[in-house]
Amino acid sequence: MSNDAQSRTDDDSTFTEVQQSAEFTDLRRRFRSFVFPLTGAFLAWYFLFVICAAFAPAFMSHKLVGNINVGLVFGLLQFVSTFAITIVYVRWADRHFDPVAEKIRNHVEGGGQA
Amino acid sequence: MSSPAGIVAISLVCLVTVGIGAFGLRLSRTTSDFYVAGRSVTAGWNASAIGGEYLSAASFLGVAGLVYSLGVDMLWFPVGYTVGYLVLLVLVAAPLRRSGAYTLPDFAEARLESRFVRSLASGLVVGIGWLYLIPQFQGAGLALATVTGASPSLGNLVVALVVVANVVAGGMRSITLVQAVQYWIKLTAIAVPAFVLLAFWARQGGPAPAADLSRTWGQVLGGFGGREHPVYSTYSTILALCFGTMGLPHVLVRFYTNPDGRAARRTTLVVVGLLGVFYLFTPVYGVLGRIYLPTLPAAVRPDSVTLLLPQVVTPGTLGALLSAILAGGAFAAFLSTASGLTISVAGVIDQDLLAPRLHHRGGGDVSRIQTFRLAAIVAVVIPYAASLLTVNTSLADTVGLAFAVAASTFCPLLILGVWWRRLSVVGAAAGLVTGGTLALSATTITVLGRPGVTHSGWLSALLAQPAAWTMPIAFAVTILVSLATPSRIPPGTARTMVRLHAPEDTRSSGAAPS
Repeated sequence: MSNDAQSRTDDDSTFTEVQQSAEFTDLRRRFRSFVFPLTGAFLAWYFLFVICAAFAPAFMSHKLVGNINVGLVFGLLQFVSTFAITIVYVRWADRHFDPVAEKIRNHVEGGGQA
Repeated sequence: MSSPAGIVAISLVCLVTVGIGAFGLRLSRTTSDFYVAGRSVTAGWNASAIGGEYLSAASFLGVAGLVYSLGVDMLWFPVGYTVGYLVLLVLVAAPLRRSGAYTLPDFAEARLESRFVRSLASGLVVGIGWLYLIPQFQGAGLALATVTGASPSLGNLVVALVVVANVVAGGMRSITLVQAVQYWIKLTAIAVPAFVLLAFWARQGGPAPAADLSRTWGQVLGGFGGREHPVYSTYSTILALCFGTMGLPHVLVRFYTNPDGRAARRTTLVVVGLLGVFYLFTPVYGVLGRIYLPTLPAAVRPDSVTLLLPQVVTPGTLGALLSAILAGGAFAAFLSTASGLTISVAGVIDQDLLAPRLHHRGGGDVSRIQTFRLAAIVAVVIPYAASLLTVNTSLADTVGLAFAVAASTFCPLLILGVWWRRLSVVGAAAGLVTGGTLALSATTITVLGRPGVTHSGWLSALLAQPAAWTMPIAFAVTILVSLATPSRIPPGTARTMVRLHAPEDTRSSGAAPS
């Protein structure tokens, strides 16, 4: 059972107030406007691989060095790109998301919870 | 074939697992410790533990088996297993941590304020967990039979017993330690033989697979192995793996073992790296298998190709030794994933099924730990019995179906629950029921149906990889029913949304996190 949230005694009005505040709306908007396009972009990148494989088999089986063809390099890049995307997200969250979140926290602690 | 080295390796892995489990028992004190390790686990340990828990029979043996039998398209499995963590991280990880819910049913109840939706979620956790446990037991049977020549059902039993002993004795704290160690055992066990085999391959001039074979086997989406509609199947697999990870019962709870959101992100980054490194090695066995083992002996499943390969490439002591290392690593994979799943499934059975009844009847005599232990036994016995049935699907395919069920049920619940204020109780319930029924039916037909009847043409492709249609249907049902029943939006939605999206310390300043 979740045991930290229920034990609080503060009233609902603080939460409604926070939810409607400009900062909170801005925080959610910032998060969504970064994370949703990011998700869409990396899914598109993975699907692109399949599309290439289905409709451009000649391109994918083009040999680069020895037995190593474009498809294989493309496939290995998927691992590298997954790691790279995760780094991009973590850096964004550290630099741009956490500071705004910090501001809201100070606001709530100063005004809401007396 | 019978190999003493293999028996030694498997016994050693089992003993080390039980030993560390017993050691961890001394560290765990309270029920809270039992569940989430008191949140005292560092990011490096935690990432190793996530990797250790996640790399299952499907990863260790199944991916190589699929690449071997169905061609290079199957490389999507390892990529999808990794991307699932990225999707989980960016879309739901942080809000879920803040929700204060330890498990998926906890989240369902907290967000929707409904015992009924909680019960649905509990049933699904148990269903997905059991579906995921079956191939772990089967993989163990396969590995033990390949290395020692024992009856295939013996390995199922060994893993089931060790998992029960481990979970009953230790709980979560010891499991975190065990899982972290398991990752490094698995990586060593898959990497060292791969390097040795590749060295042999290079010394022999790097032979390629037979030319007629490589034309279809080596061609992406070439339909090798008789699998029809490869484009649809590949898309559906990617969807299931990307969106199913967030709904797996044993994944979510790991995010609570991080002290804060920043550490959770660090942990995920390390996890993606650790998984990527591991998955570089598994396809090597599938590809080398195509070169050195063009045909498998009768009645041998492609899933054993990893274990058979060393004996073919370098017969003799070295081959036996490498096989033994691989068998030990494979056992580590079965034990760790099965332990993690058992904890999650047992937690749900305990909380939602056993504890309320036993406490009621026993008048408080029955302690929390005791019911948890009983639940752990129930959680293992049923999938163990099911694992003795004959199934049509390979290890990685069965695991893929568990992902598909998760993607069709918990994914809509989590994504809409976290991001959409208008989600209603009725909508969430309808989505879970629809997605769960469709995906579980497709799974049952695929796993148990008679080959030849249900295994050809479009219908078979749709049933074998259901996520591409069941997931959108589940989303659509959830959204449409929610829009039709605005009066059933949970009254506390505004409060819950702030809790999910406001920074963590806003809440914990009032109440100390437990």
